[in-house]
This record gives sequence, C-alpha cells and structure tokens, in this order.
Amino acid sequence: MERVILVRYTEIHLKGLNRPFFEQKLIENIRHALKGIGCRVEREQGRIYIVGIPEADFDEAIERLKTVFGIHSISPAYAVDKDWQTVCDTAFALMQKQVALKPDLSFKVFARRSDKHYFMNSDGINRELGHLVLERFPSVRVDIHKPEVSLCVEIREKAYIYAEEIPCAKGMPVGSSGRATLLISGGIDSPVAGYFMAKRGIVLSAVHFWSFPYTSERARDKVIELTRLLSRYAGRIRLHLVPFTDIQMTIHEKCPSKETTVIMRRLMMKIAQRIAESEGAKALITGEALGQVASQTLESLCTTDDAVTMPVLRPLIGFDKDDIMDWARRIGTYETSILPFEDCCTVFVPKHPVTKPEVADIRASEALFDFTELIDKAIEQTVVQTVKFEDPKLI
Amino acid sequence: MIYFDNSATTRVFDEAAATAVSFMKEGFFNPAAAYAPSVSIEREVNLARGRLASYFKADPSELIFTSGGTESNNIALSGTLASRRDKCRVITTAVEHPSVFEPVNALKSSGYDVVTVGVDSLGRVDQKELEAALSENTGFVSIMHVNNEVGAINDISSLYSLVKSRAPGAVFHSDGVQAFLKMPAVRCDMYSFSGHKLHAPKGVGGLFVKKGVRFAGGQMGGGQENNLRSGTTNVPAIMALDSAANVYMRRHDEFMASMREVKLRLYNNLTRIKDVLLNGPSPDDGACYILNMSLLGVRGEVLLNSLSEKGLLVSTGSACAARHRGKNRILNAMGITGPRQEGAIRFSFSPENTVLQADTAAQMIEDSLNILRRFRRR
Repeated sequence: MERVILVRYTEIHLKGLNRPFFEQKLIENIRHALKGIGCRVEREQGRIYIVGIPEADFDEAIERLKTVFGIHSISPAYAVDKDWQTVCDTAFALMQKQVALKPDLSFKVFARRSDKHYFMNSDGINRELGHLVLERFPSVRVDIHKPEVSLCVEIREKAYIYAEEIPCAKGMPVGSSGRATLLISGGIDSPVAGYFMAKRGIVLSAVHFWSFPYTSERARDKVIELTRLLSRYAGRIRLHLVPFTDIQMTIHEKCPSKETTVIMRRLMMKIAQRIAESEGAKALITGEALGQVASQTLESLCTTDDAVTMPVLRPLIGFDKDDIMDWARRIGTYETSILPFEDCCTVFVPKHPVTKPEVADIRASEALFDFTELIDKAIEQTVVQTVKFEDPKLI
Repeated sequence: MIYFDNSATTRVFDEAAATAVSFMKEGFFNPAAAYAPSVSIEREVNLARGRLASYFKADPSELIFTSGGTESNNIALSGTLASRRDKCRVITTAVEHPSVFEPVNALKSSGYDVVTVGVDSLGRVDQKELEAALSENTGFVSIMHVNNEVGAINDISSLYSLVKSRAPGAVFHSDGVQAFLKMPAVRCDMYSFSGHKLHAPKGVGGLFVKKGVRFAGGQMGGGQENNLRSGTTNVPAIMALDSAANVYMRRHDEFMASMREVKLRLYNNLTRIKDVLLNGPSPDDGACYILNMSLLGVRGEVLLNSLSEKGLLVSTGSACAARHRGKNRILNAMGITGPRQEGAIRFSFSPENTVLQADTAAQMIEDSLNILRRFRRR
C-alpha cells in the first residue's frame, strides 16, 4: 500500500488548445518545488500524481505543493490494487481514522471509474462500499449533500482512495503568463504585490533602489531576504540593486521640494522600465494601493504612469492596509518587512508633499534638470543577483 | 580602517589569541577529570582566577567565571532573589544595560516592587532619588559603574555606603562591563565583567560575589565553579581572558593615557565643526575611552553608514540596541531628545587607537557632514 499525492489543478482546463503548455509548466514547477525529495511526478487524464515519496518526506512534500501556483488542491491518497477486498480494507482504514476523531460523522462515498473494464460501475461502488462502511461503523451516517467526510475511490490503473482534500494556492503556473518587473522597497506591500502577480503565472524579476548611506547594508540584505521569501512561490528571481543616492540628492537640490517624491517615483519607473526591457519583461509591478500615501493618490498614479510606456500592474490597488498585512503574514514576508531598517530615506521625504500633482507641472519640474546621464550611470552601476529560496537566510 | 567602537567589542590581543589556541590544541583537557593532565589544567584555571581576583583584592573563591556580561548580570539578580523568600524591593537606574534593565523590569509581573532611579543630565545616578528609593525591604540594588553610551562614571564606593546605611539587607551589585580593569576597583557586593571589552575573546566573563553575600548561583548541572555556575569550564577563553587582563594590568597607566589622548584629540577636532554638542560628562570627567557627541542636522544612522563606507567604524548607541529603532532610552533619561538624540554618535577607544586616527576620523566626519547636511528635510 503506497501513499501518493493526487494533485488537482485550477483554471488550466479553460485554456483550450494551450492546455498542454499550461500542464507542462505546472509539472515543471512541481518538479522544481519537490527537488531534493526523491519522488516522481506523473500526469494522467487531467490529474497529476506524486508517487514514490519517501515516508519521512511526505509532510514536507505536502507543504511544498501548497506553494505551487496552479494547484487547486491536493489529496494524500492510498494507491492499492484494484482487487475489491483491498479497496474495502483501505477504505475502512481511512474511515477508522476519521471515526476516531468524530464518531457520529456524516459521510458519502464518491467513486470514479476511468477503468471501464472494472467489474462494478461508479454507482455500484458508491452503494456497495457505503453499505459496508455503515455495517462496519454503526455510529456514522450517510449524507449525500453535505457530508463531513467524502470517501473518494478512483479506479484507474490502480485504485486511489482518500478522504482529505487540502486547499492550495490556486492561480496559474508561474511561467505561463510571461515576465514582469517588480519594484521592491523592503516594506510590507511590494512582496505581496509580487506574490499576486506570480499567482497569475508571471515570472518575476525585481528592482530595488538603494540609497546608501541613507539606507544601510542591513536594509539591502533585508530586500534580498524578502526576495528570497517571495521566490518560494515565484521561483528564482533576478534582483537588480540600483544605486539611487545621486539621483535623490539631485532631485532634492534641483526640484521643488513638495514634488520631490513624485519626481523620484517617475525616475524610479523610468529606470525600472529600462531594466524590464533589457530582460524581456512586458510590464512593471508595484505594491501601490489607492490613497495609501501622497504618492498613491489617483493623480499621483497618473503622474507616475506618464513616465513610462509599459503597463503598470498594481494588484493591491483596491486593498486596505490591514488586508495587505494579513496577506504578508500568510505568505511569510511580514516579519521580515517590519524589521526596523530604513527602506526609504525619510530625509528626502518632503513635509508637505503634493497630493494632486498635474502631469504637466511635474514634467516641467523634472525638466529643470537633465537626468539622462544620472539614469545611465545608475543603470550601469546596478548590481544583479539571482535569488532563490534555497539560498541561505541573510537576516 | 579606523575602529572607534571598542565599547561594542575589541580585537583580541595576540597574546590572548595564542593562549586560547594553546589551550584548545594542547591543554584541551576537562579540568574536572581525574587524570594528571586535567589536574594541571585545573591548577592553571585557579591561578588565573587568583590573578583576576587580585583586581578586586578578593579571594579567588569570590570569583565565578561565566559566559560574559549578560549572564553575570542576569544571575547576580536571579541568584540573589532565589536566596530570599520575600518579594522585596529591587532598585536599578534608567540607564542600565538591557541585561540588567530587562530582567529587573520583568520582575514587576511576578510581584516584586521595582523602582527605577533617574540620572542627571550627564548620565550619573541621581543620588537624592536613590536615597528616597532605599527602604527597609530593599533586597537588590544594581547600578552600573561606567555607562556604555556616554561614559558617565558613578561613584560606586560611596553609593555602596549610602545603600548599606539605608538598606542594610540589600545586596549591592554593579555592572562593571565598561569599567573592569580600566577604572580602580570599587566597594560592592557583586560586580560583573566581560572579557571581550578588554581584548579577550567573546563568550567569557565573570561575576565577583563577596564572601558572605547570599547567592544561590546560576545555571545548574555538574557543579563547576563551586557549584554556583555549572557547565564545562571554558578553559581556552578563561586563560585568554587572564592573558589579556595581565597585559591590561601591566600597562594600565600607559593604556589609559593613550586612550585619553585620542579621546581629547577627537573631541577638540570635532568641537571645531559647527553644530556639534557633547553628550554626557565633560571629556576630563567621563571615562577616557568613551565619547558621545551629537552632530546636528544628520541622523546618526545615516552618518554612521557614510563613515563606514570611508572606513571609520562608530556606533549610534549600544550595539545591543542597534537593531531596535526608536528612542534611545539612555539619552532620553538624560533629557537629550529630538534632533540632538537623532544625531548622537558614540566613539569608543582602545589602546590600539592613535592620535593620527583621531585626526583622520575628524576629517572624515567633517567631509561626510559637509555633504549630508546639504540634504536636510525641508
């Protein structure tokens, strides 16, 4: 009797002729997630099975599968011979565990038979096995509509029997939707934004603007660590660390003080777009939420969008801060995000920033100085590193 | 590189490092074992204990080796309270190191009467407030010898007399981590020290417990350290501490004069820069190896980053608090707040620093300030 994991996937069935491509991506990503665990990933008739999992790694495999986008749910199942007595014994063993937790549970048998040569059809299995379970466990009852336990039996080349369904991350396989570049700050929002776009199948790269000495070495390590935590879901991420101090100082000196933040954001977008283009990304991603701060009012967003031609994806735009924080906790980035290292230099934040900038005004202020050379220099001095979840934790 | 953060930790003296290696490679035996080589190691450790105890003019049996300042401070408190039955009053100051401040404050929730005494604007304990706090039921008083952030020196011997006259039943402890071997020994019941502040390795220190003081000890186990602090004796670190301490005791006057010279030079250099304020006692009154100054107009953290890029290593406060943003508890207690607190930088010296370094450092600071001060928040 072997324990296997049955993987169900989500929207891939919607994808018509592209379906093999999506399935292939998902399988690749599952194989990558399970690296180091000696098991096999098999595809069969709209299902993926993880087989040959060493017993000691079974729970770990489940935890890792929960982070793979494109998986709807998984079920730990017993794979046994189709022999009827074996099927029944396995089902009894599974029910025994459930009954121990709740003696008067309600259940139903849910059978599927893709092996049409099997001696009993699905309906027959439902009725016969249901009857035997009731005989064996007199304290339980049948509920066809809202059972507490669904005892599932699938008859294929083997019989798969399971009673538990574990919800997973859902979404689309990473790599099925192209590439986009995330502006990551070190705060709470940007890793969550990256998570949501990776969930829609995007391959992420990331750009961080680094303002030494206004932000410290530890602040930079913090961003690397946040990227590492994000790569648990998004796969390996190329992180671009852009030295930004000279540009900030120049903005501070040359531009009107209440507009410095908006202009800074525009220049960040311009640099991010250049980096995105250089690696074939089609969009930028930010963690902005409408109205959260002065630079995230609708007017400010229009002004930053005006600086670039790429679409700017803002998956958190309609989120409340509380909800973003909840998600950060769920995906495990919160505790790192709140480490108290400066991630944006407060010294450069004006006391009274403009909240409703006019695009024309900001363009005019930005034109007070020709930033081209400074932007070129920043891109030239950018340090790139590939971050993956298996990397050592830095902080 | 110029290292002006010697209150955080120091480079291990060559002699001390060599001693540690020899007790790792050759004299590695467990001193508690029964065979001859172990007996000789035990003898070495006890000789070291005697030499270190001589600083306190104490008997070797009054000295317990620990893992360092934090453990010494922790067990001084817990070991004293464990030897009493009552929920007595415990007094400490607002500027203690976290390894005293935190465990003392944690006592509040278990019913102890905790009183925190303030300090004056220079960082020294407020004697009047202390006097008022002393009561019949006071069981433990802990006052640091030299403050780690501003170098203020408390007159521990006279505070000891004051405490004993008002609260004869109290145990008087002093955290001497920043003072041991540098300052003259003081009168007290218990005294904590740490090796790595004096060019010995990290992970070793000690607690002086005067004979007759009731003390239940620290961690329990195999009964080492006279059954007051169990755990296999850390021979290489203890012997390295002894070695570093011997260098320090032998060359004490020369070391102190050298550090004083560096400190005064840096102080004089910095006072020539605009908008620079001294925090803590005047350079002649405070410890001659700690200098705390506020360089207004730039946050200390930003200046620190900029200086570290130039090769000058300093701190904005205790290294034990470098990861906690927010208000500086010590400067707050001294009444130093706002931009002056935000711009505070601590320089701390060792005998390895030179006057030339003080000049170079001042120039680096001036250069950084000239750039950074242009970008004040507006």
